[in-house]
Amino acid sequence: MNNTIPDTQTYASLPDEMFVIGADDTLAEEIARPSITYWQDVWQRFRKDRLALAGLIVILIMTVLCIVMPLVSPYTYDGADYLNMNSGPSLVHPCGTDQLGRDQFIRIMYGARISLSIGFIAAAINFVIGIVYGGLSGYIGGRADMVMMRIVDILSSLPSLLYIVLIMLIFGSNVGSVILALCFTSWIGTARVVRSEVMHLKHSEYVLASRLCGANTWHLLIHHLVPNAMGPIIVSTAFLIPNAIFSEAFLSFLGIGIQAPMASWGSLANAAIPVMQMYPHLMLFPVLAICVTMFSFNFIGDGLRDALDPRLKK
Amino acid sequence: MKLLEVNNLNTSFSIGVGTVQAVRGISFHVDQGESVGIVGESGSGKSVTMLSVMGLLPNYAAITADSIRFDGREMTQLSPRELRAMHGSEIGMIFQDPMTSLNPLFTVESQLTEPLRIHRNMRKAQARARALELLRQVEIPNPEARLKQYPHELSGGLRQRVMIAIAVACGPKMVIADEPTTALDVTIQAQILDLLNHLKQTTQTSIIMITHDLGVIASMCSRILVMYGGTICEEGTAREIFYAPKHPYTWGLLNSIPRINGDPEEKLIPIKGTPPDMLMPPKGCPFAPRCRYCMPVCREYMPPRTVLSDTHAVSCHLMHPKAPKVAREV
Amino acid sequence: MLKYICKRLLAGVLTMVVLITVAFFMMHAMPGGPFSPSEEKNVPVEVLERIAASYGLDEPVWKQYLSYWNNLLHGDLGISYKTVGTVNEKISGHFPNSAMVGGLAVVFSLLIGIPLGLLAAIHRGKVADMATLAFATIGISVPVFVVSLLLSYLFSAKLNWLPTYGLDSWLCYILPVLCLSLNPIAYIARQTRSSMLEALEQDYVRTARAKGVSELMVVAKHALKNALTPVITYLGPLVAGLLTGSFIVESRFAIPGLGYYFVRSISDRDYTMIMGIVIFYGMFVVICNLISDILLAIVDPRVRLNA
Repeated sequence: MNNTIPDTQTYASLPDEMFVIGADDTLAEEIARPSITYWQDVWQRFRKDRLALAGLIVILIMTVLCIVMPLVSPYTYDGADYLNMNSGPSLVHPCGTDQLGRDQFIRIMYGARISLSIGFIAAAINFVIGIVYGGLSGYIGGRADMVMMRIVDILSSLPSLLYIVLIMLIFGSNVGSVILALCFTSWIGTARVVRSEVMHLKHSEYVLASRLCGANTWHLLIHHLVPNAMGPIIVSTAFLIPNAIFSEAFLSFLGIGIQAPMASWGSLANAAIPVMQMYPHLMLFPVLAICVTMFSFNFIGDGLRDALDPRLKK
Repeated sequence: MKLLEVNNLNTSFSIGVGTVQAVRGISFHVDQGESVGIVGESGSGKSVTMLSVMGLLPNYAAITADSIRFDGREMTQLSPRELRAMHGSEIGMIFQDPMTSLNPLFTVESQLTEPLRIHRNMRKAQARARALELLRQVEIPNPEARLKQYPHELSGGLRQRVMIAIAVACGPKMVIADEPTTALDVTIQAQILDLLNHLKQTTQTSIIMITHDLGVIASMCSRILVMYGGTICEEGTAREIFYAPKHPYTWGLLNSIPRINGDPEEKLIPIKGTPPDMLMPPKGCPFAPRCRYCMPVCREYMPPRTVLSDTHAVSCHLMHPKAPKVAREV
Repeated sequence: MLKYICKRLLAGVLTMVVLITVAFFMMHAMPGGPFSPSEEKNVPVEVLERIAASYGLDEPVWKQYLSYWNNLLHGDLGISYKTVGTVNEKISGHFPNSAMVGGLAVVFSLLIGIPLGLLAAIHRGKVADMATLAFATIGISVPVFVVSLLLSYLFSAKLNWLPTYGLDSWLCYILPVLCLSLNPIAYIARQTRSSMLEALEQDYVRTARAKGVSELMVVAKHALKNALTPVITYLGPLVAGLLTGSFIVESRFAIPGLGYYFVRSISDRDYTMIMGIVIFYGMFVVICNLISDILLAIVDPRVRLNA
């Protein structure tokens, strides 16, 4: 402890110190910790979460690789090397080749393009629909809000696999219908979060105060709604990305997702099942890619949630 | 006779960035049947003091004390089990926010009879009868119906009455009320204070009233401790604190309450600045940065405790014989 | 309470009507019917048309829709176009297999997930907590098909301890139940942990301690009841999802269950079969949600107000 009570002798011999200098306003008003903005604070906390940071780095590397590799690699996703069929990992083919002699590594990279873009696009669409729908519902309120929320209730109680499979069958097996199927209801979570934030905001004192100062709706939305609701929205979006990737892998694994000769991680794993015993590398790498990506996104999501949740502050 | 005696209590919390020294070496006592008020701003350590005494702080809190004696027993030596046997039976607690202090998923009856069944081994019917009696005692109308209700069906004032009923259920020797009226409407505040006063007079229970509102203290307490920055800066009888305060912080507190019969032109004098950050408490007197009478020594050394009478003591360098004589400006 | 149940029931019926209608029209929007010339190339067109007419498929869509409702209200889901027998028979034949495996998985995930979450919450930041979180992250991140592949490869192909297919002995249940419950265990453990941590920090827990309630009862009574409400909400979809069968697990372990037949009927374009399973599944979801809603209202009296 740095606080010392002077002993009697010292205390008695302190006459020079005994005159009033008064309050030090600068000292009194000083806030001991340096002030930083909310997002700086979030980033500080996110950065301290090593798993989340590692996840972010893995995803960034994966993104760069899946964009660059197909451009510079001598192989293509459907180019067959008949001299090297079913070969194990080697210097020429780092992840081996499949039954037709196609380079597994480049196929996984193409798969990564599909998985990551499906993940990001689905999350972005959900983000927009969720904000608009939830925002409108909460902002208008009353009867419109009730009807909109009942629609959401009904949609969310439909089993997802059913309409995903139906949509895939109606619109054919391609990336577009996978995204459509995934976006059909996954915006509901975001919409509910946005709605409750908007409802909450409509009745909060500081929004009233801002209104009294003459703020218009846009100002309120941009300066109050966005910063306040962003945390939960970002977290729910962050978890949507792995869900979308997961669902795509699942559909392709079922054989109703991405079709040959194009490859996605799910369809690569599916194709490897019959030969799994003989050529385990064909199964290993796509599955590894899926798991690493899922881990990374889940770590990022966890990290974001912890960083954005003000209750865990300090 | 001393019911509670606390000697040199220190409480600190380890959090990621460092250690918060919430309570720094405080000593006080409470006599039997006496009501003591603890005043101070938010963050001055008043709630933490009482939670430390009770042993109700989370386990990342480090509590050290030379001694905490309650009713002749040394509380620092008690096992968690023995301590629990005291909670709710010998010491009752009332908390600040009645909206969150009751469990939303249990009925009033279940929560009110719980201490009776734990400490008095009462059967269900017996506990229920006692609960009804308690609800009447805290002046809740229609107690039979209220017993079956859940907290969300009660108003804030009613919930606080239920909290009081829970606190006094087993006839405790001491009740600690932690800002019991802060979250309530002004009219309800007065009712709750009346109720506490009434209970004090009828049951001879000691009451420790924690508050930042000197008005509340004035109507309830015979003795007052003024806390600032985790230390007691002044203590004395209500008379001494209100009519002969010695610490500049106490002056500041008194100057910031409006008086109903005062001059309408008179301005309230706020205490400028904010309380110290207990992560990095000031080296000397915690109030020095905000004190109008601060001296160089105040920034360097903690002031020693100066005893002015049997009941009145103050920790301020202005009590030094060589210090300039300053008086409270009213 | 009664009013609350009625409202939930009404919402459930409405959901069913929407579900049936949407599914019916989606089915008809699908390219290539069950007896379209593009599907069955070896059969003369006239014969196909005759077969289609005998099933009433030549009538206008709205008429088919109405007659479907008529049959439905009589409890008749129609006959399978592509396999022998009625849809009712198919469902009652396959559902018990799925329900058995799924039911075991539900029980297993609750029995493991909740205690695991509690343990982690009480020992926050210690080894037990870290291990639970690591396990939960694995359970959430690794897809079911990967788990089922790994487990069947390890325990059946390599170690030869457990059978990979069928439901002949109790040993057959181990792998499918494990695969099905890994994800729910992870989810329930995480949810229980986080809501328990939140509950333990609430003011009412401090009140309970101030009353002298023992630590065990503080956790098991005051905090747990509050912490379990999100788990109860999750229970409805979980039970419905697991009991009606997972295609992946059923096809991996050759279990003749509903999930497997559903995907097969989709690739067969067996309209009545798809519709039948959709309706059955939808009804199941609605009922499970209703039960978990009622359970929630029993546990949390505040829910009844917001009906």
